[in-house]
Amino acid sequence: MDGARHDDKKGDQMKIVALNSVSKFYNREKVLDNISLEIDEGERIVILGPSGCGKTTVLRLIAGFIAPDTGAISLKGELVSRDGRIIRPPEQRNLGMVFQDLALWPHLSVKGNIEFGLKARGLPRIERERRIRETLNLVGMAGFEDRKPAELSGGQQQRVALARALVLEPRVLLMDEPLSSLDLELNVRLRKEILRLQEKLRFTLLYVTHDRNEAVDIATRVVSLKQGRVDHVRTMTSCRGPALFYSQQYNIDGECQNS
Amino acid sequence: MARRIFLTFILILLLIIGMLPIFSMLVKSVTVDGHFSLASYGGLLASTHQWTLMGHSMVLSSLVTALTVAAGVPLGVLLGKTDLPFRGFFTVLFVIPLLIPPYIIAVSWFDLLGREGLLAHLFGASVTMATARFLFGLPGCVFVLFSIFLPIPMLFTMIFLRTINPRLEEAGRLVSGWGGVMKGITIPLILPGVLLSAMLVFLLSFGEFSVPNFLRYDVFPVESFTQFSAFYNFKAATAAAVPLAAVTLIVLLAEAAFLRERTYQLRPSPGLDHLPLIGLGEWRKWLFVPVAVSGFAIVIVPIIVLVIQSAGIEAYTQALERAGASLLRSLAYAAIGATLLTFLGFFTGYLIQTKALRLWRSVDSLTIFLFALPSTVIGIGLISLWNTPLTNFIYSTPMIIILGYLAKYTALTSRISVTQLAQIPSSMEEAAQVAGAGWFRRMFFIVAPLARRGLLAGWLVGYIFSLRDTGITMLVYPAGHETLPVRIFTLMANGSPELIAALCMVMITATLLPAGILWMVPGMMTRKVIR
Repeated sequence: MDGARHDDKKGDQMKIVALNSVSKFYNREKVLDNISLEIDEGERIVILGPSGCGKTTVLRLIAGFIAPDTGAISLKGELVSRDGRIIRPPEQRNLGMVFQDLALWPHLSVKGNIEFGLKARGLPRIERERRIRETLNLVGMAGFEDRKPAELSGGQQQRVALARALVLEPRVLLMDEPLSSLDLELNVRLRKEILRLQEKLRFTLLYVTHDRNEAVDIATRVVSLKQGRVDHVRTMTSCRGPALFYSQQYNIDGECQNS
Repeated sequence: MARRIFLTFILILLLIIGMLPIFSMLVKSVTVDGHFSLASYGGLLASTHQWTLMGHSMVLSSLVTALTVAAGVPLGVLLGKTDLPFRGFFTVLFVIPLLIPPYIIAVSWFDLLGREGLLAHLFGASVTMATARFLFGLPGCVFVLFSIFLPIPMLFTMIFLRTINPRLEEAGRLVSGWGGVMKGITIPLILPGVLLSAMLVFLLSFGEFSVPNFLRYDVFPVESFTQFSAFYNFKAATAAAVPLAAVTLIVLLAEAAFLRERTYQLRPSPGLDHLPLIGLGEWRKWLFVPVAVSGFAIVIVPIIVLVIQSAGIEAYTQALERAGASLLRSLAYAAIGATLLTFLGFFTGYLIQTKALRLWRSVDSLTIFLFALPSTVIGIGLISLWNTPLTNFIYSTPMIIILGYLAKYTALTSRISVTQLAQIPSSMEEAAQVAGAGWFRRMFFIVAPLARRGLLAGWLVGYIFSLRDTGITMLVYPAGHETLPVRIFTLMANGSPELIAALCMVMITATLLPAGILWMVPGMMTRKVIR
């Protein structure tokens, strides 16, 4: 783990996300213990670990839903929360997020779900329409604008959640086990989709999963968490070629066998 | 098989207790000397006075509904969704008026604002001329009923806020402030709950007769009560009760058509551990002040007035002398009623939650219909059915009062059971089934113990509502079996204000004491979800 130092301002400015000695407690139980992590622009970081190891908490801290009890979080060099205090609320962080249960708003149509953030940012109607159209095309959901989430299949809901997150062109996309509820075939197909979109749009991806295959397929760097601490970090860039389908070539620790 | 037979028995029991009296009343209202006749309705419809009364009822309940929703929803959001200080205390405080008989609140305001009230002693009669004018009539009725029913939209808002998956709001928070999230996501999601609460307030204020009766504002339910109790004209009373039932039915049918599918089940959201709260920041103290002032004015002032009015041991001694027996009867009937309500509500809730019979939705609608029905209608229905020589063993004993409680309040215990049972995974019962346990054994040893908090909460709610009941008991109580609310109501005609205030305080204590004791039992009111 990179030992990012918050007072190293110059270093932080180069990092799109920086967690510095972050700890978090829930009901006196330490969920995250002194985590430090630096992420470069365009990276695909996968946080891997078993249930309850604190993966989702890392995402929620970066999103700004909760504040670290100790430590600091910076986005592109700007301090966004520190020592129990949220300095920048979630809506001012320019992040996108796909939740584990997708959290599509059931009372709004596909278009309404995607448009909500654009409206909140005060974009004019023509611009909103253009962006919705483009994003739905991008995720292959054109023509589904008026459907309600309940009228879509699991894979289609997944794409809408992705479109909702991407339409605002976030600097970082947070994904919290987004494929965990899908069958293997759909899961693999959507992994490809995510990689295609990331390569096309060049956003930074922070992806949480407990599935090692998913991790090695998606990541340029895998951060393993265990009981709230960083267990180890593996950089996957030594493997050539498209990241996908390398999962067979890694052993259980995610080490590159065939570079 | 045992499950099916027993639940069918519960369904038949509900029909006999709740629907048969209403059906009997309907039949009698269109029968004269054994023949079909609409004579009673003819007189009713021809009278312009009746239409005026109906108009009064509509205006009163519409105003009360509009005001309680306008104030209750923001209050519910403040208490259920923000970091306002003392939220728990305020929640309990605002609920208190709902738990005591409505006319007691009216009595208290009368003791304060009436021509010889406390204000007259402090500021002279000229001030109370104006306040008494306000109190007696539509504005006073609206104000008193507003303070009583305010907790309904407040609690519905709080409960429905807890059913929203926090992720839905967090997804909004990534792109918008809390204002935008509340407007675009949270409020639309709880809207079915808000409308449901509006419907309940409308029906409850529409059927309320004790407050308008005391504050001399003529409304339709008073007519039915007066026809029966003052003129002993059962035909006219029955005919006057039917339009009340019809309005209730129409509102509930509208609810079924527009809301039922949109009303999400009252199940705590799975992400409740991280319920996102709105940080009020600087606004904390500015919002605390109006909430505290409202709580003081609406709840604490009426109680203080009663305490001052009843001050002195003499008033309480006299109260216990004149109404001690009624108090004991009230406590006994409420305890019996609560126990039977818990039993009936538990199995009705089980029937609805597990959809054990094909008619489960009708059972749900039936209990809600009976709860929403004005008390006078249920009372007259019970008399209509049970006042026969053959069934005198019911009509002339406290059983008739208990039947009234069961008819009216099963919806409350049933809803509590549904909510509690929804949190118990079906696998719990299935595991016992696989292990070879029969249905009764599963219910007794697995489901009921797991739902014990719901059972206890159901008993408490059943006890409070049975104890505070005035409308049904007033009509059906057999001679020598009057309860405390009825005794106070009848003593109001000739009792001294000190005595009435002391009796009201005894009534409030009897209602709130068990709730307070159970509240203090560790863990009783804390939510525990089985995952």
